[in-house]
This record gives sequence, C-alpha cells and structure tokens, in this order.
Amino acid sequence: MSTDRIPNEGRVPQQEASGRAFAGSFNAVDVCAGYAKKKVIENVNLEVRRGEIVTLIGPNGSGKSTLLKTMTGWLDTQGGSILIEGKEMKDLKGADIGKKMALLLTEKIRPELMTCFDVVCTGRYPYTGRFGILSEQDRQIAADAMRMVRIFELADRDFEQTSDGQKQRVMLARAICQDAPYLLLDEPTTFLDINYKLELMEILRKLAKKGTGILMSLHELDLAGMVSDKLVCVRSRHSAEEEAAGVQSWIDRIGSPEEIFSGNYLDELYGMAPGTYRRFAAESRIFKD
Amino acid sequence: MQAGKRKEERFMTMQSRNRRYVIGFVLLSIALVLLLLLNLMTGSVMIPAGEIVQILRSGDNTSKAGVIVSQIRMPRMLAAMLLGGALAVSGFLLQTYFQNPIAGPFVLGISSGAKLVVACVMIGCLTAGIQVSSGMMVIAAFAGSLAAMGVVLLAGIRVKSMSVLVICGVMIGYICSAVTEFLVTFAEDSNIVNLHNWSMGSFSGIEWHEVAIIAILVVAGMICVMMLAKPMSAFQMGEMYAANSGVNIRRFRICLILFSSMLSACVTAFAGPVSFVGIAVPQLIKRLFSTSRPLIVIPGCFLGGCVFCLLCDLIARTMFAPTELSISSVTAVFGAPVVIWMLLKRRGRA
Repeated sequence: MSTDRIPNEGRVPQQEASGRAFAGSFNAVDVCAGYAKKKVIENVNLEVRRGEIVTLIGPNGSGKSTLLKTMTGWLDTQGGSILIEGKEMKDLKGADIGKKMALLLTEKIRPELMTCFDVVCTGRYPYTGRFGILSEQDRQIAADAMRMVRIFELADRDFEQTSDGQKQRVMLARAICQDAPYLLLDEPTTFLDINYKLELMEILRKLAKKGTGILMSLHELDLAGMVSDKLVCVRSRHSAEEEAAGVQSWIDRIGSPEEIFSGNYLDELYGMAPGTYRRFAAESRIFKD
Repeated sequence: MQAGKRKEERFMTMQSRNRRYVIGFVLLSIALVLLLLLNLMTGSVMIPAGEIVQILRSGDNTSKAGVIVSQIRMPRMLAAMLLGGALAVSGFLLQTYFQNPIAGPFVLGISSGAKLVVACVMIGCLTAGIQVSSGMMVIAAFAGSLAAMGVVLLAGIRVKSMSVLVICGVMIGYICSAVTEFLVTFAEDSNIVNLHNWSMGSFSGIEWHEVAIIAILVVAGMICVMMLAKPMSAFQMGEMYAANSGVNIRRFRICLILFSSMLSACVTAFAGPVSFVGIAVPQLIKRLFSTSRPLIVIPGCFLGGCVFCLLCDLIARTMFAPTELSISSVTAVFGAPVVIWMLLKRRGRA
C-alpha cells in the first residue's frame, strides 16, 4: 500500500496551516482517515466555513461515516491535520473541543432514568465546572434549544420512553445547546419521517444563518441538494482488485448542488446506469400541477 | 407570562427533584443511624441504647459491656459500614464502565480473583511462617482484582454481547473459587480454619487497626470517585459524545477500573467475597432517587451500601445466634431478588 500522499489541487501548503487563512472555518488538510491497518479515505481537503452547510454524499460504505468520525476527533487521523479555526484539533484541550464543535451521531444512547431535558442539558457539559453542576443560565439555554426543535413538551418525559424520531430531535436540541460554531451530523435524518426531515433541514438553515458551520452526511440526495451550500462527493472503488490496490475511497468532487446535479454525475457516483437518477427524479414527480 | 412560564419550568425540573434527593438522603441517614445503634445493641449480650450512649461518651472500655461495644461490635460495625459502601460504589463504577446494569465485582469474578490471590498469599506466608499483614492482604487482593478484571476485559474485546461477558465473569468467578477451595482444603495448618471462614465472607473478627486501614482506603477511594462524577455522567451518553465533551476516554476508563478494583479489593481483603451488594444497591438507589446522575448516585450508593451491609451483618450474626451465617448468604437473599426484579422489568420494557 502506498503511503506517500499525492499532492492534489486545492491543497493548502503546510506553512499556512496556522495562518489567518483558517479563521472562521473548519478544515481538513490532506487528511487520511481510517485505521492503521486499513486506510479508508485519503487526500481529503475540506473546508466548512461558518454559516455554510456542507454535505457528504456517496454510496453506502464509501467511508462518509469514517471521515466524519475522524473530523470529530474520535478516530485518529492517519495523516494530515484537522484544523478548527487554524488550531490543530489534536492540540485542543478537554472541554475546548466541545465548545468548538457539537455532534449528532447515529449511535444510539441508552441513558438510564434521564428525562429528555436531562439529555439536552448534557450538551452544556463543556461549560460546567469540576462537578458538572448546571447553572440557571445553562438550563435556560437548554430549554431554548428544546423550543427551537419544538420538543419542549417532552422536557419531563423519560428519554427511553420516546420514539426514535423524538430521540433524534432531543439529540439535536442537545447539540444546539452546546452552542458551538461548528455542528457535525452523521445521517441526521435517520429515524425521522418526512415532516421532521424537512423541519430538521429548516432548523439547520436557521443555524447556518446564525453563523454555524455545518458538516453532515446524508443519504437523501433531494434533501442534500435542497439544503446544502456545498456537496462533497465521496466515491469508492467498485471492484475488489481496485480496493486491494490501495485506499478504498476518495473525494471525487466538491461543488454546489447545481454543479453536482448537472449531467449524469450522480449516476456515476453511485454506480448506476447513466440517466437513472434523472429518470427517478422525473418519475417521482407525481404532483402534476 | 414569560416569567410565569419560566418559573413553572424551573419547578418541574428542579424543585421536585431536589426535594426527592433531600428526602432520599434523609431516609438513608435515618436508616443508617438506627442500624448503627441496633448493631451496637444486639448480640449475645443485649446492651440497651442508654448504656451504649454512656459507653460512647465516657470512652469506657473496662466494663464487660464497654469491652464488647468498643472492642468487638464497634470495629465490626464500622468495617461492615465502610466496606458495604465501598462495594456498592464499586458496583456502580463497573455498571457505568460496562454500561450494563448487572455488572458488579462479584458477578464479573473480580471478588473471586481477589480471593484466590489472597488465599495464595495467606497459605504461602503461613507455610513459610511469616505473619500476614493487612497491607499485604490489600495488595494481594488488589492484584487479584486487577488480574480478574484483565481477563474479563480481554473477553470483552472478543465478545460484544454483555450477557456473554457477564457469563464469562461468572465462570471466571467459579474457576477462582474452585481453585481457592482446593488450596484451602489441602493446606495443612490449623490457621487455615480462619482462612476458610474468611473465604466464605464475614465481617467478624475485624480489629481496630484494620478498621483504620479500611477507613483510609475507602475515604481516599471515595474522594477519587467523586472527582469522576462529571466524566461519568458524560460517559453515560456514550463514548463519542463523552469525548466531544472533553473526557479523555482512555484515562477515564483506566481510572474507573483502578478505583472500582481498589474498592472491591479492600472489601475482599478484609471480609472475603461479598455477593450482590455491588449490583443490588446501585439499582435500588437509582430507583429511590429516580436518577442515574453520578453526582447523586455515588454518595447515595455509599450510604445505601452502608445501610444494606449493616442490616445484612446484623441478620448474619443474630438470626441463628450463636451460629453465624456467612455474610454472602444474607446479602444474596436480599440482593438476588432485586436483580431478578430488575431483569424482568428491563425485559418488559424492551
């Protein structure tokens, strides 16, 4: 397996890494994500500016989740660096990460005997002291986040006794009350019905307008096209021989929804026959007015 | 309007809950005081409460009652109290670590691991004619706990299912117990009688200097554990969220293992293996306070463990007096139904 990184376009020279170029943005510079034994995706150069919604799209198993988990700092990078406003994420101490970046993950949590309000309040942890005691202000911020996601009436409900969709929205409120300039969401629409999916997109737009930089992965291309400022296309090698030859995936294109949706590129990305997505989109237009 | 709403909200989430915490702690404290008194009063010789207060005030240790209270019942009572608290907290730490409500030092074989190593050290020393000090016992128990924990963790890497992990723990416990029994049976020394009693689990015969060591270890351990309250509540949300809140997961896990092993090792070194306290008490406490917030549950577990063990020890020594029951047989009678109830409840919900 080749470990040298191939310089590509859009690459930021290392010496600029701590410079002013990164103020107000969250960057991946030449990042290689994956595991020591198996690199999943290489040469990732990404930028999420504050106020911008950036969405990762691509087929199942292409490494979107692995890339996101690396961007959160959970998985160590196998090369390159992740910068939050010009600072190496590795160098951020403890609670500072939480103050800069909030998460919404797909992994289910099973907190015992916690109300939805309690769960939302855990978003305030990076701001609390030695024993994690919340101030009245923390509580207010958590309550406001619940109102924003319109789940305030669930505040006193046991978290375990809510539906999957409600749980997801509670976790969103939790991420919002963390009050971080960047928000990372891994497949946030999972478990949500169409109504809440659209509502979620609305909320994300609102957050972006307030200056939050959002990076997420989505399966629904229509939603991704609707809400994103930039689409990042994660492509994977299709055959086993190709995979054996090296890294599994790479970032194929980054562009506006218009650019990505033009031509038959999406078919190529997902390994479908040319024209398939376009035909699907046309056929699914069942409202003829 | 807005102010009214906010006030109401605060009421919902704070006041009723704080009241519950206060009531819970008051109830536990009352139970603790009552049990302390009962433990001093009852036994082969009944000593009325008034006399006990007098003995405690005057520091009398010359009269017969004075000797019984200050030399026999007091140290035993304090040991049962502190060790019970330590065991319950240790159980809560393990439950948090494994995110499994039936994890506990006894179930995971950690107590039995400690027991095995302590038995080996005791037999080795007795054979060599060396006096076994309490410090050596504690260190041996700690080593045994960590070794058993290591095996459980290794099994944990291979199997993700919690029930399988618990079964592994139970099996490790059985193996360690079997080896201990074997050693005890074939060790030829009159002192082995003590060893046999100890390996069944009992608070009897604990002396003041041992109580001092227990107190130091348990208090130090509890302070360390309280310092973990915040990362523990972050950890309850899952590792990735905890890491995002600023918890150094690896360091946190190591601390959790070390502290829980230390607390349960302390118990095993002085009282032998004691079953079910580590599982049952945290469950009862969580229900009593209706929260799993570590900042409340840790001190709650400690108090609950004190009360639970004092009650069980009282029963163990008075129920069939002068014959004494092993402490585990009593804790199991009260603890096991709690575990069964909890499992049934959990299943009903899922």
